[in-house]
Amino acid sequence: MFRLQGSKVLAVDMTGDAVKAKNGSMVAYDGQMSFKKLTGGGEGLRGMVTRRLTGEQMTVMEVKGRGTCWFADRASEINLVALQGDKLYVESSNLLVTDAGLRTGTTFTGLRGASQGNGLFTTTVEGHGQAAIMSDGPAVVLRVSPQYPLIVDPGAYIAHQGNVRQSFQSGVTFRTLFGEGGGEAFQIRFEGDGLVYVQPSERNTIAGDL
Amino acid sequence: MAFREINSKMVEATVAPGQRLYSQRGAMLAYRGDVSFTPNIQGGQGGLMSMIGRRVSGEATPLMTVEGSGTVFFGHGGHHVHVINLSGDTLCVEADRLLAFEGTLRQGTMFMGSQGGVMGLVRGQVTGQGLFTTTLQGQGSVAVMAHGGVFEVPITPQRPVHVDPQAYVAHHGEVRNKLSAALGWREMVGRGSGEAFQLELSGNGTVYVQASEEKL
Repeated sequence: MFRLQGSKVLAVDMTGDAVKAKNGSMVAYDGQMSFKKLTGGGEGLRGMVTRRLTGEQMTVMEVKGRGTCWFADRASEINLVALQGDKLYVESSNLLVTDAGLRTGTTFTGLRGASQGNGLFTTTVEGHGQAAIMSDGPAVVLRVSPQYPLIVDPGAYIAHQGNVRQSFQSGVTFRTLFGEGGGEAFQIRFEGDGLVYVQPSERNTIAGDL
Repeated sequence: MAFREINSKMVEATVAPGQRLYSQRGAMLAYRGDVSFTPNIQGGQGGLMSMIGRRVSGEATPLMTVEGSGTVFFGHGGHHVHVINLSGDTLCVEADRLLAFEGTLRQGTMFMGSQGGVMGLVRGQVTGQGLFTTTLQGQGSVAVMAHGGVFEVPITPQRPVHVDPQAYVAHHGEVRNKLSAALGWREMVGRGSGEAFQLELSGNGTVYVQASEEKL
């Protein structure tokens, strides 16, 4: 059971089950808990190799026990995401806690990843359960529907879920080349049906400088 | 109640003649009325001996005395501020987390070794709290600072609470604390879960935890 206590603390009530959490993100617990580091993001040897290669390294621990465990990380805002068999794409650094039943993996994002300043790969979370993702400032959830595509600044994007196609669009003109760009040289375009999580803050990206 | 939370990062304090407040030096943001701020060389209450005690223990933070009549606004460094009301019990808090407190509270320093002997000393070192901590006792309210929001976890004899030492802010009540280490072979080979040390608080009271692992 995930529940938010304020906007920056996540309380998880556990009855002998387990969750996967970012290493060192526990702030308090009562009852009996054990913490164990999972190698390769809890994906075994394959995860260890792929995560090392892709740079999507994720240090995850398994928290197991009875009682309540509180998680928080550097006072980031926390958002709860419920997954019903669909796939959530999120940066490994923004993932705080997932149900142990959810499968995590890595996927190639191509040029979009590079523009976000997060590398070419991203983390996927799949299955039935809940996940908690972090954002710098309270995140907004924007819906993408076939009639209404959504265009997002790569630096403000944190996660998306659903059946969404994404493409990369650039607004580079001759002005950008002369250093007179508007600071919005690249965007990610989402089409299809799903949800996109956007934070009210921008990471430093190459696109932001142009 | 001397302190009123204006928003999550600012408190308003009412000062009346004859009442005295102590606050961290430089933490005043604005004031109304006739209020004077005098630097407190002794770094708090008590006589010369208490001052020496605080200097020696490294629990001396620059404090100032606030007197007069009016209202004063306090805030510091954009940190979250949390007001704790004490009714006769003792609050243990790090001196640099203290934003302001009422003059009716008795301030003291506690030797960590007095709770748990050698382990108490180790605990102080691990948590970065040092060998001493500040105590406030009596009737009144205290404003403490934390990075991120603060939440309270009640401690009952049946339910001891474990807290990450870096996220620990303060506690009050009849609480025993000890450092529990969950060190295993995993930590030795650099495969730790990042939760090797925990503060175990048991007894009767409340512990205040911040939503971050960052020190002030």
